[in-house]
Amino acid sequence: MTQNTAIASARPDARPALEARAYSLAYETPGGLVQALKSIDISIPRGKTLGLVGESGSGKTSLAWAIMRYLPRNARELGGDLLLAGESLRATSKSQIADIRGARIGMVFQDPSTSLNPTLTLGEQLAETLIRHRKMSKAQAFSEGEALLARTGITRPAAMMKRYPHEASGGEKQRVVIATAFACDPECILFDEPTTALDTITSRQILDIFQTLQEDTGVAALYISHDLALVSRIAHDVAVIHRGEIVERGATATLFRNPQHDYTRALIAAAPRPDIRLSGPAPDIAAPTVLATQDLTVRYGGRSLLQKLMGRGEAAVEGARKIDIDVREGEILGIVGESGSGKSTIARAIAGIADFNGTISFDDHVVQERSAISRSYRRAAQIIFQNPDASLNPRQRVGEIIARPLKLYGLARGSGIEARVAELLAQVRLPADFAGRYPHQLSGGEKQRVAIARAFAARPKLVICDEITSSLDVSVQAAVARLLVDLQAESKASCLFITHDLNLVRQLAHRIAVVYRGDLVDLFEAADFDAQKRHPYTRALLEAMPPPIHP
Amino acid sequence: MSAAYLLRRLAAILIVLLIVSLTVFSITQILPGNAAVMILGEYATPAQLQALELKLGLDQPWYIQYWRWFSGMLSGDWGVSMRLSQPVAALIGEAFWRSAALALASLATVTLIAIPLGILAALKRGTIVDLVIGLFAYVGTAVPEFVTATLLLVFLAGPDRGFLPAGGFAPLSEGIGAALSHVVLPAATLSLILTAHIARQVRSEMSDVLSSDYIRAARLKGLSERSVVLRHALRNAMAPAVAVISLDIGYLLGGILVVEEVFAWPGLGRLIIYALQNRDLPVIQAATLVLAFTYALSNLVSDIVIARLDPRVRYA
Amino acid sequence: MRELLRHPTGLAGAVLLAIIAVMTIFGPLIAPYDPQQFHPLSRLQGPSVAYWLGTDQFGRDILSRILTGARSTILFGLGATMAGVAAGGAIGLIAGAIGGAVDSLIMRLLDGLLAVPDLLFTLLIVTVLGGGSGHAMLAVAIAFMPGLARIARSTVLSVRTREFVLAAQARGESPAYVIACEIMPNTIAPIIVEATIRVSFAIMLGATLGFLGLGAQPPSTEWGLMIAEARQYMFRNPICVAAPGVAIALAALGFNLLGDALRDLTDPRGRR
Repeated sequence: MTQNTAIASARPDARPALEARAYSLAYETPGGLVQALKSIDISIPRGKTLGLVGESGSGKTSLAWAIMRYLPRNARELGGDLLLAGESLRATSKSQIADIRGARIGMVFQDPSTSLNPTLTLGEQLAETLIRHRKMSKAQAFSEGEALLARTGITRPAAMMKRYPHEASGGEKQRVVIATAFACDPECILFDEPTTALDTITSRQILDIFQTLQEDTGVAALYISHDLALVSRIAHDVAVIHRGEIVERGATATLFRNPQHDYTRALIAAAPRPDIRLSGPAPDIAAPTVLATQDLTVRYGGRSLLQKLMGRGEAAVEGARKIDIDVREGEILGIVGESGSGKSTIARAIAGIADFNGTISFDDHVVQERSAISRSYRRAAQIIFQNPDASLNPRQRVGEIIARPLKLYGLARGSGIEARVAELLAQVRLPADFAGRYPHQLSGGEKQRVAIARAFAARPKLVICDEITSSLDVSVQAAVARLLVDLQAESKASCLFITHDLNLVRQLAHRIAVVYRGDLVDLFEAADFDAQKRHPYTRALLEAMPPPIHP
Repeated sequence: MSAAYLLRRLAAILIVLLIVSLTVFSITQILPGNAAVMILGEYATPAQLQALELKLGLDQPWYIQYWRWFSGMLSGDWGVSMRLSQPVAALIGEAFWRSAALALASLATVTLIAIPLGILAALKRGTIVDLVIGLFAYVGTAVPEFVTATLLLVFLAGPDRGFLPAGGFAPLSEGIGAALSHVVLPAATLSLILTAHIARQVRSEMSDVLSSDYIRAARLKGLSERSVVLRHALRNAMAPAVAVISLDIGYLLGGILVVEEVFAWPGLGRLIIYALQNRDLPVIQAATLVLAFTYALSNLVSDIVIARLDPRVRYA
Repeated sequence: MRELLRHPTGLAGAVLLAIIAVMTIFGPLIAPYDPQQFHPLSRLQGPSVAYWLGTDQFGRDILSRILTGARSTILFGLGATMAGVAAGGAIGLIAGAIGGAVDSLIMRLLDGLLAVPDLLFTLLIVTVLGGGSGHAMLAVAIAFMPGLARIARSTVLSVRTREFVLAAQARGESPAYVIACEIMPNTIAPIIVEATIRVSFAIMLGATLGFLGLGAQPPSTEWGLMIAEARQYMFRNPICVAAPGVAIALAALGFNLLGDALRDLTDPRGRR
């Protein structure tokens, strides 16, 4: 790659590396032509990054496919042009495109666990690009591949080349994908949400690698994301796309400081900002403790008797080890951790759907095993799950779903049930006629509101929220978080708020617990976040978080 | 794949055989007709019958009889056919290889035709090629073997269009031509339904693979279509294809019963039908176990092949 | 239903099955001749104005025999499948819902039974019960049971780990409520799909038994039996065997197409 950098810098810099000029795209559907991109204009100079920000369905990914000339059959290009270093991509032939893909335009995908072929080694997949475009021999390609991997921060590149995707971590796989994208020293790289599938700390490392490589090679980048804070960290310019139109563009700092368009303002307002608290003041120190766990330990897997006899199955894994937490009345306790840290495991144990060891004291119940959890405990402790698609029974109407806790716990009778369902729907700001609908007729945010209504129907003393905003779009996330805080304040319920999003949890929680690989490593007042006495892991998490946006 | 894994799988096959043997044994126990009466004929004297019952152990409780029989099966003593008065092991041994020849010929045909057909349909998805292959696959899976066999006979082995022999078996010693001409029709019959089924499954697996993220990523690296299909897609579609073939071997083993009967192929299938019609218990029991064992073993072989094809599959 | 008719495979299946249904219900009424009546002067004739599909070895009208035979062939397929689904579904549901050692034990047993090919299993049971249409139907149902139980169980297992079931358990619902109101309604669609495809297998198996003389008995005009009876004369009038063969294939094809279309429409991946 180094010798190629010299060639690259010899290229004329006058023209932007990538341009779209009044580019419009539509899809043919049975219902007629649906416009996906309306007169898009973008321009990315060499060495610069353009952040393209939009929510799902905004058309941001369609633009990437159009640039790669990888459009589905029903796509219709309505006008405009896409230019790579001044050459029209729309005018290129199929075989020319094959020479451009991977060589002059690289691409990094959202999820490295699906974008890598499971039956080929990482080395083979990296080397094939070099063999194809740089006409290397297999041996040359493998040694060059090792060099590329080393530059992406992989410590033992030779060993990594021989591994299959399932033998590497998410971060390692994404490094291989990035190395592949940079392999032929392209003029431009498209990033399609490359860190969405990764943990906070890994994401940060991936972004750092990208920035270093960009400085070294002078590549232009189109960085597609829904995450404003993240884009604000790495992009030189930002374009905000909404329903196929670029509503606002500009230098990153200016745009975030002084947004002009309403949609941009709404997006910025929706991004979690730890300096703006959504919840009220912490409850009094003297407030009674509602929930306390002692040595809460959860083991996973473990073998059945038959499996042991057959010598099969995995040994038990501890999902959470000796967790001691307590929640006061009216308090929101945030639990923060990355995927696999054990944060959901804790939630499930307290909600009575995972076997545990240790003691849970809740309300006036003290239990030491799952089977001892009574129905009155369960009524008072309600759980809301991450994905409302999975947590609402697709065969039940919204009305039935919300009425179920009322009937189960005898909280309402006869016509009182219907009235209470209507009241709950109103509380979560949904129209009353939603009671007759099925979940699949609702949007993601609406479904999550139904799940919240179901939890509050039981008049709980504790609401356990397990990543309840992470499957939703940014603008919806904020609304759902606000709704939760309002209901929590109204009902005086306590709340366990489990999330991977540090900025969000700092807006909501009164105290924050940090879990790492099954252990509780830190527990502190929300205001105390930045203090030097924090656990090193908490500090690493904090550093890895993109800085919140301050308009 | 470890030796321990193989041992465990073989143990699992033994359990399968145990269950099959218990099932078959209890089925044959309910069968009307006393073995001694069958052997000696209806006019035997009570004293003769009693003596034979004692000799055969028919006066013992069922579990003793079962254990005698099952341990005999494991040690190679498979008993004597009641009707044919020959050792069951010898009868089955001879018939098994003839059936195996037929089954392998069919399996080879199926694999060679069905997999390319399915891949072709997936690559040409939505075109006339796909439609034709799809239609063939649908119609093919809807025709039972006895119908295919009968129609093939009518059109290819009739008295006035006798291209091929209407049935029977010719060993290789009678010449390759004769042996092959006898195997063509029964093998074609067995192949039709399986080819149709497997082609359809391979098409759907291959379509899934072709629409996956990693195939898209391979295309966006600028790789040639040839490399995308042969290097990236094929291997991922092969493992599920092998799994389908292995499941269909069970169907194939059922199919040989009908096909051997129609084409008078003197194999295991025909022997079983004969034994069923004549209530020849030792033959029914042993032959069923042999078929079940063959099926279980072929599943094990296919799992090993799948592990070779897909690095994610690890048997430890 | 409207979605089904818009689906090309579904439409083809629905059309085929509509024809088959008319034959099953009205076959004996619309048959031009008595299917058992001998026409000694017109034996083994080809198609003609009088006999659209020709006649068999006794001069019986083949079209009339096919029309009247639809009932026994189709009802056999439906009956055997429904009995198999009821028994297998119940076993699979119980095994999947209870889990643990009971589940492992049942699955081991089913694995064993699945190692015997369906046709051989059916033949073994028919041999015990004795031939005849009813016994053959029961035999096919029993032979189908292990496979259907496996499918029902795996469906239950995939539903059981979904979060709405966890949510019900977290609420403290009784196991009976969880099974009946949360799990069951979500297992019905995949089981119906599987059952529809199985009907075509059952039709083919039933005809095979008829052909081997172990299913329907004369004077039934069951299609498999028709082929067996006409085999000696098939070289003189191929329609004797071809017509019932095509009828069996069309019936099996209809259920196959319908089942596949239902799978496409109920598969959440295919939707949206």
